Amino acid sequence: MHSHSVSSDDSRASVEQYVKWIQVLRKRGHTIDGIVLTEHRKFDFDKDYSTLAGQYNVLVLKGSELDTRYGHFLVYGVTQALTQELDFSDTRMDARALMQAARQHDAIALPAHPGRFGIGLTDYIAQGESFHDVEIVERLNGGSRQGENERAEELCQSHNLVGIGGSDAHLTSHIATCMTDFKAEIKVESDLVDALLTKEFQPVWLKDIVNGASQS
Amino acid sequence: MAIELEYDRSLYGVEHKAGPFEITNEIIDRANSSTGETGPAFRSDEGAKEAGYRGRIAPPTLCCILVRQVSLPDVKVKFGRTQMHAGQRVEPKAPVYAGDQLTASSHLKDVYAKTGRSGTMVFVVWETTFSNQDGLVVAEVQESFAKRE
Repeated sequence: MHSHSVSSDDSRASVEQYVKWIQVLRKRGHTIDGIVLTEHRKFDFDKDYSTLAGQYNVLVLKGSELDTRYGHFLVYGVTQALTQELDFSDTRMDARALMQAARQHDAIALPAHPGRFGIGLTDYIAQGESFHDVEIVERLNGGSRQGENERAEELCQSHNLVGIGGSDAHLTSHIATCMTDFKAEIKVESDLVDALLTKEFQPVWLKDIVNGASQS
Repeated sequence: MAIELEYDRSLYGVEHKAGPFEITNEIIDRANSSTGETGPAFRSDEGAKEAGYRGRIAPPTLCCILVRQVSLPDVKVKFGRTQMHAGQRVEPKAPVYAGDQLTASSHLKDVYAKTGRSGTMVFVVWETTFSNQDGLVVAEVQESFAKRE
């Protein structure tokens, strides 16, 4: 639900490396159906990973991770119209406007790593900001430092939010460290938006799911 | 309100040339020494020929050292108080041989803002293409500099 390829300025992993690494993880017994590329501050309309996806039997979807004045937000179901309405490179955009615009264009935006110190939604709420449209957050983030996922968990509990999991991978071997287990079958980005709206999912750690079963 | 980055946009599309840089055995020796390179192809003509090259080659990261000799103009970014080097990446395109004369051509690739744990930073990205005396592109180096609040 949250990964960065070389298309992002701070990642060194190619999509091919990700899907190959997923083959390794599958051989170790992990169930991984697909990944969502959420490149920083942009959406890659021109990138087509369908050949790779087919070759390695990994669903490869595309989204975005945008910088806002209230932290980073993951956007799924991005359309041309949404990118025309919002400047994805604007690091000072209002997250509330982003969430509303996303829904108007059949997409969905939700806070990434809300427990992150200094930039997570938790800090902005503590400063008195309110975000009534937030119903889902990234509860598990594979790039979190100690205590940050716990803060996200507390946020979910205190505000009755549901959570997804995302690896936030910038390196090949970090892909799928955290994932989201959906009840619905997802084949395209619009399926993903629909599945998020149902709220029938849960965040999981890769290490806790082996051979389709929870190890914890 | 979006951050309106203030900098010298007239630099876009301008190529800044530098060189020629003569790739001597001494330069290759120093590059090898700095990285602990021991590969035979980088050490001697004989080792290189055994590996299928026509002569001694320079380590692929040599152009990362040479790029620092390219004089680049001030982008005049009006943001932050601290500037730091933010990284390099090199894409080797062809072998660089001892005796080559390389030229560099640099251009401003991007200036953008991003936010993270430490606040907002503005990145300036330069892209430099190195070519040899035959006009063959041997490497592309991308170098970033960051300014922070």
